Amino acid sequence: MNLKRLSEMGLLTCISLIIFVVEMQIPLPVPIPGVKLGLANIVTVFAVYRYSPKEAALILLARIILGAIFSGNISALIFSLSGGLLCLGGMIFLRHFIDEKHIYLCSILGAVLHNLGQIIAAIFVTSTLSVLAYLPFLTVSGCIAGLFTGICAQITFNRIGENKK
Amino acid sequence: MKKNVIIIIITAVIFAAGAIGCLLVLMAPKSNTVSIKSGGREIYSIDLSAAEDCIFQIEFEGRMNTVEIKNHSIRVTEADCPDKICVNTAAITAGKSSAPIVCLPNRLVIEPANSSADGRTG
Repeated sequence: MNLKRLSEMGLLTCISLIIFVVEMQIPLPVPIPGVKLGLANIVTVFAVYRYSPKEAALILLARIILGAIFSGNISALIFSLSGGLLCLGGMIFLRHFIDEKHIYLCSILGAVLHNLGQIIAAIFVTSTLSVLAYLPFLTVSGCIAGLFTGICAQITFNRIGENKK
Repeated sequence: MKKNVIIIIITAVIFAAGAIGCLLVLMAPKSNTVSIKSGGREIYSIDLSAAEDCIFQIEFEGRMNTVEIKNHSIRVTEADCPDKICVNTAAITAGKSSAPIVCLPNRLVIEPANSSADGRTG
């Protein structure tokens, strides 16, 4: 990991943290736990396609842990971690099948996996299966939010790709 | 190119499954009974059609949720968690189906008792 790559990753972590903190201030239109735009995921999707799996994981973990501290909501850490890691794992796997022109597809599936991870964590935390009733709502919201973040990541990736070549 | 078509179809199927699932949850069998669970254990089971109006508090590890029963519907009126999702969730009314009310930070679940996703793990 050379110095240029390290500073790029630091910059990306910083950007995703800023997006995360700003997004917390946006009130949610729907009162369903776990529904959010997930704008910070733009950086994760971008990192999955641009860097190695290990580097993308480092960016994501730094963002999740620092984000939990900044938001003062440590109890939500378990949900971000389970969702984030399942999402990252899924996207790293899907990267082998989805080319760079269809990043948004990867992002949609990643967002759905993120919500699935959150629900699994919620089942363990509340030890009731009834939170599963939220899964369909989260799936639909994940598809929409994932499409949006995916398009953002796609545009970013295309532009930065052009400059590098 | 063909791989992408397959993945687009998979995505569409997931989206459709989610939409159908939403309808199933909203059309789940109606019930008058709600069960209130704290930390995974059922602490109250209330028949909403017979319940009188009242306000009570549920404590979990020092944190409180205030629950109100009024006109045969139940909702959370106050919570000391940061997100207030449970307060904003729609009330559960007797004879109408609705999604459970969940307060994740305080481990509180209020659900229609015989919903399709009935948990027996607690």
